[in-house]
Amino acid sequence: MKRNNKDIFLIFGLLALACVLFAGQVYGEEEYDEEAYGPLKPIVWAKPVKGVVFLHKTHTMGAGLECDSCHNGEMFEMAAGTAEENDDFTMASLYEGKYCGSCHDGETAFSSKTRCATCHVGVKGYNRLTGVVLHDAEGGNH
Amino acid sequence: MNNIIASVMPQEGGLAASPSRSYNAIITVGGLLAAVGLAAGLHAMLIGHEHAYGVTREVPWGLLIAAYVFFVVTSTGLCLVSAIGHVFGVEAFKPIAKRSVFLAIITIIAGFFVIAFEIENPWRMPIYNMLSPNPTSNIWWMGTLYGAYLFFMVVEFALLQLEKHKVAGIFGLLGLVAGIAAHSNLGAVFGLLGGREFWHGPYMPIYFITSAMMSGCAAVIFFHWVGYKANGWKMSEKLEASLCSTAKLGATLIAVIMFFTTWKMISGISGQPPGKYEAMMSLINGPYAVNFWVGEVMLGMVVPFILILSARAKNLPVLFSASVSGIIGIFFMRYDLVVVGQIVPHFHGMGINELPHLFTYTPSLHEIMITVGAVGLTVMGFLMGERLFRGHLSEDH
Amino acid sequence: MKVNDLEKLKSEGIENLPSEERRRFLRFGLAVTGVFLGGSVLSLTSTRNAQGAMGPVPPAGKFPYKPHYTMVIRQNRCIDCERCMEACTKTNNVASYGYRTTILEQEIDLGRGEKGRMFMPVLCNHCNRPPCVRVCPTTATFKNKENGIVMMDYDRCIGCKTCMAACPYNARYFKEENRAIDKCNFCFDTRISKGESKTACAAACPAGVRIFGDLTNYDDEAYQLIHTPEKVVWVLRPETGAMPNVFYMND
Repeated sequence: MKRNNKDIFLIFGLLALACVLFAGQVYGEEEYDEEAYGPLKPIVWAKPVKGVVFLHKTHTMGAGLECDSCHNGEMFEMAAGTAEENDDFTMASLYEGKYCGSCHDGETAFSSKTRCATCHVGVKGYNRLTGVVLHDAEGGNH
Repeated sequence: MNNIIASVMPQEGGLAASPSRSYNAIITVGGLLAAVGLAAGLHAMLIGHEHAYGVTREVPWGLLIAAYVFFVVTSTGLCLVSAIGHVFGVEAFKPIAKRSVFLAIITIIAGFFVIAFEIENPWRMPIYNMLSPNPTSNIWWMGTLYGAYLFFMVVEFALLQLEKHKVAGIFGLLGLVAGIAAHSNLGAVFGLLGGREFWHGPYMPIYFITSAMMSGCAAVIFFHWVGYKANGWKMSEKLEASLCSTAKLGATLIAVIMFFTTWKMISGISGQPPGKYEAMMSLINGPYAVNFWVGEVMLGMVVPFILILSARAKNLPVLFSASVSGIIGIFFMRYDLVVVGQIVPHFHGMGINELPHLFTYTPSLHEIMITVGAVGLTVMGFLMGERLFRGHLSEDH
Repeated sequence: MKVNDLEKLKSEGIENLPSEERRRFLRFGLAVTGVFLGGSVLSLTSTRNAQGAMGPVPPAGKFPYKPHYTMVIRQNRCIDCERCMEACTKTNNVASYGYRTTILEQEIDLGRGEKGRMFMPVLCNHCNRPPCVRVCPTTATFKNKENGIVMMDYDRCIGCKTCMAACPYNARYFKEENRAIDKCNFCFDTRISKGESKTACAAACPAGVRIFGDLTNYDDEAYQLIHTPEKVVWVLRPETGAMPNVFYMND
């Protein structure tokens, strides 16, 4: 009897797990696994210009890249904020195929010479993502 | 010269104003409010409007412009209604002429009181209006013509005091022409701004003159009734008949304004003209809907219209109630006209994230105090006028 | 020459005509048919709408300014780093509660339900028919007769704020420190009159968004940019009839 009970629990447990997984599939929300996909929090650079955003989610979970596709000792360090300390972390380097430009060359992914505001979220985006509250500078009231 | 001044100054005879305490108290309260308004205005001038007023870069005109428009509309209206009898010789309107001219002066002064604190450097205005005039500017014309208007009205009033009705009539006509020109220019200040869809077009100058006449009728009834009630005087039959005629004229003009407003709204909704439509909808069921339906439509048009009709333009207390309702409604009309014209963002419809659907404006304490001060000034001027000029009786009628 | 003789003539072919002559011929033909003037029958109606349809850039020589200052905004390059705003504030001593130029964030439709982002720099458009100048009672704001810049004479400003209400571009604010309206003047007093070739914002822009230039100089970059036939050039709020001198395009 005791054993039977265990089996029933096991079966229910498996069913429940299947349900959760199935539901996840049906409703399109795969669990975001930071271990596999990298941090969920957007990376926001402030240098050399304020407000450039990078989302691990779009690149790993979305585009199917592996961690070492970019964290390979050449393009990006694992520690956040390392790249922007480099003097050559500029658009010119990207055009030469460094950093984001390794893929964003117009062939593998859209060229870093186009669609500027896709990654450049600007001062507005920077403030929004880092939670800076400004008194309304444009529009509305003061 | 001294003789002239002496004869212009208040005379013996006429009606003696009530010496009662409450009468004096109301004059004092009016004076105090005006003083508080003056203090608020001077304080705002000192610390800067940026810090004192609710107006913003986006909505640069607020309560003070609305109050200014309200007072000068009333003044122009009083001038127009008084001119019917006084300038054009319609008997039925003669008994109300003198008090109306006096109040036209008082209300234009109240208007100037408000505008002096609305513009940031009023002292520069007379100087540079002369030194570097801009003939394409409606503000220039309005300022200059209202200056002339005040002068003509003061002379007219003095001549009425002197019982020189013929010459007074000429100045009345000059004042009327200056007033209409100035007031339609005030309409054009709004109407000629191509970037403000709600205002833009020939409607504003026409509407301003029409609604001035309507305001004038309301003010004539209001001030005559209060003047006589407060002093315990009894109206002559002629004066009563005159006020009834004014009420009839007022009802006619309310009907015209209803007609105007209806078509203004329909033209602003039909086809959803960009910019205009959003402003119109803010009045119909947006943030200004209460102002519009309760203030403008009910108090400003429906209530006075029904009251006047139901009393067949005869029962004076009812007509007085109609005038009170009308005056409050007219204030809402001015406020909405000024503010709603600016609340649609400049770059509307362009998907700008930081722009709200509509800008907002809330009057600051300074602005409210100055407006209340102008009302106090009007009350004080009016009641003092009743006393000084002894009920504004004139020999001519 | 009779019609019969005319038929005998051999066509030279339009390819042999110099382009200038060809253009003149075409223009003549179009003018005759009325097409050139917006397709209005016999050219009886106003040509103003036709100009609108033909693009916002006024034909050379239409306005008397020389140089005729302008700014071209290559909008899709803007990344909202706001260095232009910083440079403007510093150069022109802009009040903390105001701005002469700003960046707006625009949501654009990328199709298939996707939304994109675009930044839109805005500043005084130095209009050819400036509404603000028309409404000013004391000519405190005026259009410089030589270079077309819309300027301020602070001492004459009465602070009625009609120019603020009139401006279709929200380009003006009242600066309490000056007791006058403050607005962009293409850095005329701070830079251009001192021999600089660019406004502070244009000089500070790292992405080449703002190109300051002269509409009377055919070799000028700004002039050439807005005379690139395959590019779409637009202005903000053309319906107001202000005829702005700040042009927008994507590259």
